Amino acid sequence: MSSTGRVGADQPPILTFEDVTKRYGDLLALQGVSCQVNRGEVVCMIGPSGSGKSTLLRCANALETLEGGRITFDGADVHAAGGDARKVRQRMGMVFQNFELFPHLTVLRNVTIGPTTVLGLDRAAADARARALLAKVGLSDKAGQHPAALSGGQQQRVAIARALAMEPALMLFDEPTSALDPETIGEVLSVMKALADEGMTMVVVTHEMDFAKRVADWVVVFDQGRVIEQGPPRQIFEAATVQRTREFLSHLGWHGESIAEVAAGE
Amino acid sequence: MLDFSPLVTRWHFLLNAFWVTVYISLLSMAFGFVIGVVVGALRTYGGRGIDRVLGFYVDSMRSLPQLVVLVWTFFAFPLIAGFSLSSITAGVVALSAHLGAYMAETVRAGLTSVRKGQMQAALALGMSGFDAIRKIILPQALIRMLPSLGSLCTFAIKDSAIASVIAVPELLRQSQIVTGQTYRYAMIYTTLMIVYFLLCYPVARGVDRLYRRVAHLGSS
Amino acid sequence: MTSGWSLIWENADRFAAGALLTVELTVLTMILAIPGGLVLAFLRLSRWRVVRFAATAFVELFRSTPLILQIYWVYYILPVFTEIRLPGLAVALTGLVCNISSYNSETFRAGIVSIRRGQWNAGLALGMTNAQVMLRIVLPQAAMRVLPALASTWVSLFKDTALVSVIHVNDLAYVALKIRTETFVILPVLNAMALFYWLMGYPQAKLVDWIHRRYKVAE
Repeated sequence: MSSTGRVGADQPPILTFEDVTKRYGDLLALQGVSCQVNRGEVVCMIGPSGSGKSTLLRCANALETLEGGRITFDGADVHAAGGDARKVRQRMGMVFQNFELFPHLTVLRNVTIGPTTVLGLDRAAADARARALLAKVGLSDKAGQHPAALSGGQQQRVAIARALAMEPALMLFDEPTSALDPETIGEVLSVMKALADEGMTMVVVTHEMDFAKRVADWVVVFDQGRVIEQGPPRQIFEAATVQRTREFLSHLGWHGESIAEVAAGE
Repeated sequence: MLDFSPLVTRWHFLLNAFWVTVYISLLSMAFGFVIGVVVGALRTYGGRGIDRVLGFYVDSMRSLPQLVVLVWTFFAFPLIAGFSLSSITAGVVALSAHLGAYMAETVRAGLTSVRKGQMQAALALGMSGFDAIRKIILPQALIRMLPSLGSLCTFAIKDSAIASVIAVPELLRQSQIVTGQTYRYAMIYTTLMIVYFLLCYPVARGVDRLYRRVAHLGSS
Repeated sequence: MTSGWSLIWENADRFAAGALLTVELTVLTMILAIPGGLVLAFLRLSRWRVVRFAATAFVELFRSTPLILQIYWVYYILPVFTEIRLPGLAVALTGLVCNISSYNSETFRAGIVSIRRGQWNAGLALGMTNAQVMLRIVLPQAAMRVLPALASTWVSLFKDTALVSVIHVNDLAYVALKIRTETFVILPVLNAMALFYWLMGYPQAKLVDWIHRRYKVAE
């Protein structure tokens, strides 16, 4: 598994995981996980539920602590003692499975509260930025409403705008479509694909294999807290080298259709 | 029984007493609320030590009758502190301290009822813990606690009447002066029941209606 | 004239008698206010609008007025209608029972209503009558739900008994205040009063917390 030919391999990686270990009480959620994310890359993390993917994401922006190993962002240790986790989080955007929009604020305020409170922008500038982003995700007309009035897919698109308002260097997506009705999954995935096409560096934990196949530059496969395989989508989905990967994919109904075939069938 | 003339002739006296009732009710609600938010937030986010110490204050106020707290504040506190308190001051202090403990429990329950994900989402944007609590968690918690807060407010109004035992010139006490003069006990106490009802019932219903309109702003 | 804690010790029997009466009042009130609350709850759920209105008016009256006023009011209004002048203790008990029954009725009503309609339907579908469903399916489940609220009401009631001192019933508060007026000793007596109430009340508050944790409702 070499990194040559990977997107962004000409520059140092933006995010690295070195031998990361994490426990919850007796449970070893992550066991020596190592991988990296290059600038401009879209990395998809797949694997059975409970295999540690979401935990790894939350460790990346210091929402969780580590028991062992190192995570670096732009060369600096994220969990360094005396380091500023807030600065790291400002430069990473996170989108949650349950959207986690702030229900007491309007949609517009949800998007502006990060820039005004954390970046110190004045309201006018924050509003302008927010409106542009809401237009980008297709929800300009919902700016004055509260999250309770929006569908799940709409809320998630607002959540993406909220994260983008901080102008992050890297976007983390934690199963962004798992809590959505099938009809609304598509609208969220389109927004994410558009973001990827613009060159945003993204780490996406997902069960949407179609999306991973079409949009990912690199796929990391997890099982029981370990990385069992990683490589370009072509390798993972058509010619996986590890048996367990093949089992997992076939369990999802994936029988190794080639990427070209699926692309042709759209 | 239906001759209200003793009340009518003293209407000015009783109206002042009514305002005193309103005054000490509002003050104890306000101070109690501030105590409640501070103590409740500190107990939720301040760590085990602070939680225990403040828990002692809260549980003690839950164990002591308002009457005891009022009498002690007015008669015993001056002997320890060296200065005396007016009856209204003592009344407000005692009622606020007592109500504040119940408010703190309500606030604590409200804060812990907000989804964990909300705190994570706020932190993920780079907010400090303090900002996250102040701007994201606390507003939602307050909306969710509205029914309990409303009920505590009616208790503030009802408990103001207990202040009569330390001679605070509120409505019950001043009305008792009138009964002492006129012996019209049944009529005056019945009127008082109606007046307090007209004070408390609308507050309770009002909070109910307000909650129904804003509840969606607090559900995450 | 003795002062300080020796005074308290000398009057230990009076304090004990007062504390005992406080406890007796609490227990007796609750024993009467549980069926009282149940009756009121059912009246509020009755099919007839007049019955519902009357019961609701009673409950709202006693929940929206101060207990101290209710005690005075019962003391002076009863003779007007019943020609009897009840002794202080009976009046106090009447006031307390009316008040606590009203709070209990709310608790019971909420508990009964909170049992999902599906439970009713399941019982009826088995062929049970309304009464059987109520007795065997709804009430047992509602009982678990109301226990925490009843426990909280119990502690409130314990504190409220101090108010009967205003009509000179010999509870702990009245005994303490009487000793203070007789001896002019203020600080030790008031400290003792607070301490005794705290000693009785604190364990009850902790017990209520335990009950709330143990009987938390999981939907």
